[in-house]
Amino acid sequence: MSAIHLQNLVKKFGDFTALKTMDLAIADGEFMALLGPSGCGKSTTMNMIAGMEEPTSGKILFGQRDMEGVPMGRRGVGFVFQNYAIFTHMTVRQNLAYGPRMRGAAKAEIDRRVGAIAEMLQLTPLLDRKADRLSVNILQRVAIGRSAIMEPAIFLLDEPLSNVDAAFRAVMRTELKQLQRQFKQTMVYVTHDQLEAMTMADRIAVMDHGVLQQVGTPLEVYNNPANVFVARFIGSPGMNLLKGKPAESDRGLVVDLGPLGATPPLPVEIAAAVRGAQGDVLYGFRPEQAALVKRGQGLSLPVTFVERIGARTIVHLGQGETAVKAVFDNDVGLAIGQTAIVAPAEASVRVFDAATGLALRTG
Amino acid sequence: MSAVTATISEDVMKTVQAKPALRDEGAKLGFRLTLPAQILVLFIAVFPLLMQLYISLTDWSPLSGTGWWNAWSMWNNFANYTDLAVDARFWSALKRTAIVMIVCVPVEFLLGLALATLFADEFPGKRIFYSILLMPMMVVPAVAGYMFFMLFQSGGPVNDLLSAISGMPVTIAWLSDPTLALIAVMVADIWQWTPLMFLILLAGLVGVPEDQIKAATLLGANPWQRFVTIVLPKMKTIIIIALAIRVIENFKIFDTLYIMTGGGPGVATETISVYIYKLTTQDLIWGYVAAIALAILIVLSIAAVFAMKRMARAREVLA
Repeated sequence: MSAIHLQNLVKKFGDFTALKTMDLAIADGEFMALLGPSGCGKSTTMNMIAGMEEPTSGKILFGQRDMEGVPMGRRGVGFVFQNYAIFTHMTVRQNLAYGPRMRGAAKAEIDRRVGAIAEMLQLTPLLDRKADRLSVNILQRVAIGRSAIMEPAIFLLDEPLSNVDAAFRAVMRTELKQLQRQFKQTMVYVTHDQLEAMTMADRIAVMDHGVLQQVGTPLEVYNNPANVFVARFIGSPGMNLLKGKPAESDRGLVVDLGPLGATPPLPVEIAAAVRGAQGDVLYGFRPEQAALVKRGQGLSLPVTFVERIGARTIVHLGQGETAVKAVFDNDVGLAIGQTAIVAPAEASVRVFDAATGLALRTG
Repeated sequence: MSAVTATISEDVMKTVQAKPALRDEGAKLGFRLTLPAQILVLFIAVFPLLMQLYISLTDWSPLSGTGWWNAWSMWNNFANYTDLAVDARFWSALKRTAIVMIVCVPVEFLLGLALATLFADEFPGKRIFYSILLMPMMVVPAVAGYMFFMLFQSGGPVNDLLSAISGMPVTIAWLSDPTLALIAVMVADIWQWTPLMFLILLAGLVGVPEDQIKAATLLGANPWQRFVTIVLPKMKTIIIIALAIRVIENFKIFDTLYIMTGGGPGVATETISVYIYKLTTQDLIWGYVAAIALAILIVLSIAAVFAMKRMARAREVLA
């Protein structure tokens, strides 16, 4: 009853197409993250689900029910705004009671529901506090509680953590995920922060320029990006991509990277797909999957920069077309100007068609 | 002046907390920097006020043949104030002023709010209507007075319009009937000052956070509920400011009214300002005028302090 189906959804603002033909099925009780850079259409998608904006064409179904023409107050969606949109001129209690009060619920009924939701969200001691002087995690709970009290089948969250400082974000992420387990509602979570999407979502829908790029579990999206955009966008830093031509060698199919020489042989299942491809390909691997190897077994590149991020060290190799990043332990003995020979773990290699940007892989 | 003083003392307080040794230095610097402004304030506010207080305690008049600084020779032991307490014409003028205010300000407020609500949304020709709507505010009040003086003549356009509507000749003597004259004056005031109310309230309305309105909508509030529970509370400060401005301005209503009716017929439209004007220019009893003016200043100040306190509290709530 609370699954969401987006069918051929299109949204245009004048000449600008914010969303190009989006198809997405979100299961009942699923936590789906819409992830993408700003302007990718993720917020537009969410606003259409909420009913704040009308689709130019296409359908939105909640379960079997077509939402066309259903006003936003009647859709049964809870919406948590980026800045929470707490009614600052009211107390926490008045905020929580707002929905039932507007629907004309009886006073005793309102008190009971507010009490229950406040208990669940540990807001009971704060009920009579003015909502304008609360810390941001309390605001988040009030915002969720204010929507949850209406028992919506669907929860929409619009970048709720983007105004929170980094240290606190981890706390809020955990809290949010726990709340979702409690409420068991379908949640759609819009974010540009891959860490939030990876840590909280059951599945991630990666979007760019109004086009849905890939839908999958966090690990699927991370391990098997469907195209070059997802490969670069997911991961920090993103996937290394080197342009080259497929070439046969006595050890199997390799990618000839021109001045960098040939790569180690491609894994069998990828090689089969690459053989069928036309033209140039992009040889990809995750910076975390690179290892230092002996001369002749990997790509030989000069170290251009060493970036220490605390737990690990990111080593920048090469420049321009041949730029590669590799993540090593902090004790890696590399300095600027030295030459490093790196090779990816075989299983982590991904190859993309340079012309279409799509992943080359069988099955 | 009080704002200036408050700022200085706050800064001094900070200095005290931060570095006690610098306290005197900071205070001295603050005093020196604000000295020109303080002297200016002394001349434009404090001096006239004291002069007025002085004259209000005497029978001095410009016809006394002596300078105002010699007014002490006509000292009358608060007689002006005791006269004021029993001056029926003063009290009826005060009452009339209050009536005009009680009618005009709410009407201007409600019209302004309705227009502001209308203009918060987009509609074709909005910019043109907006400009037209603001025009009355730009008209010099004296000109507006002449305009309405003409409109309300017994052979004037207002009666012509009423004749056209009713189908029989209407010749109401608007400005010579005590009640109708007051109504005509109030119509002019509402015509001229609703735009200001509209402008201030529109600014307030546009400032209401859109997210909160959307949130209320998503929680099932209908437009009226949203207006009452979100929009109005958020506009509280600006509403109080708008009302305070109009109450104070309306209390001083003079030019339009004086040109339309001269306070007449008889004293039927005589407000405080008109009464003071007549006493000043016709009766020339300046000691008494000074007493009235001071009494009103005190009343208005109390009202202003009250309004300011409300405002400060509202701002605290909304911050």
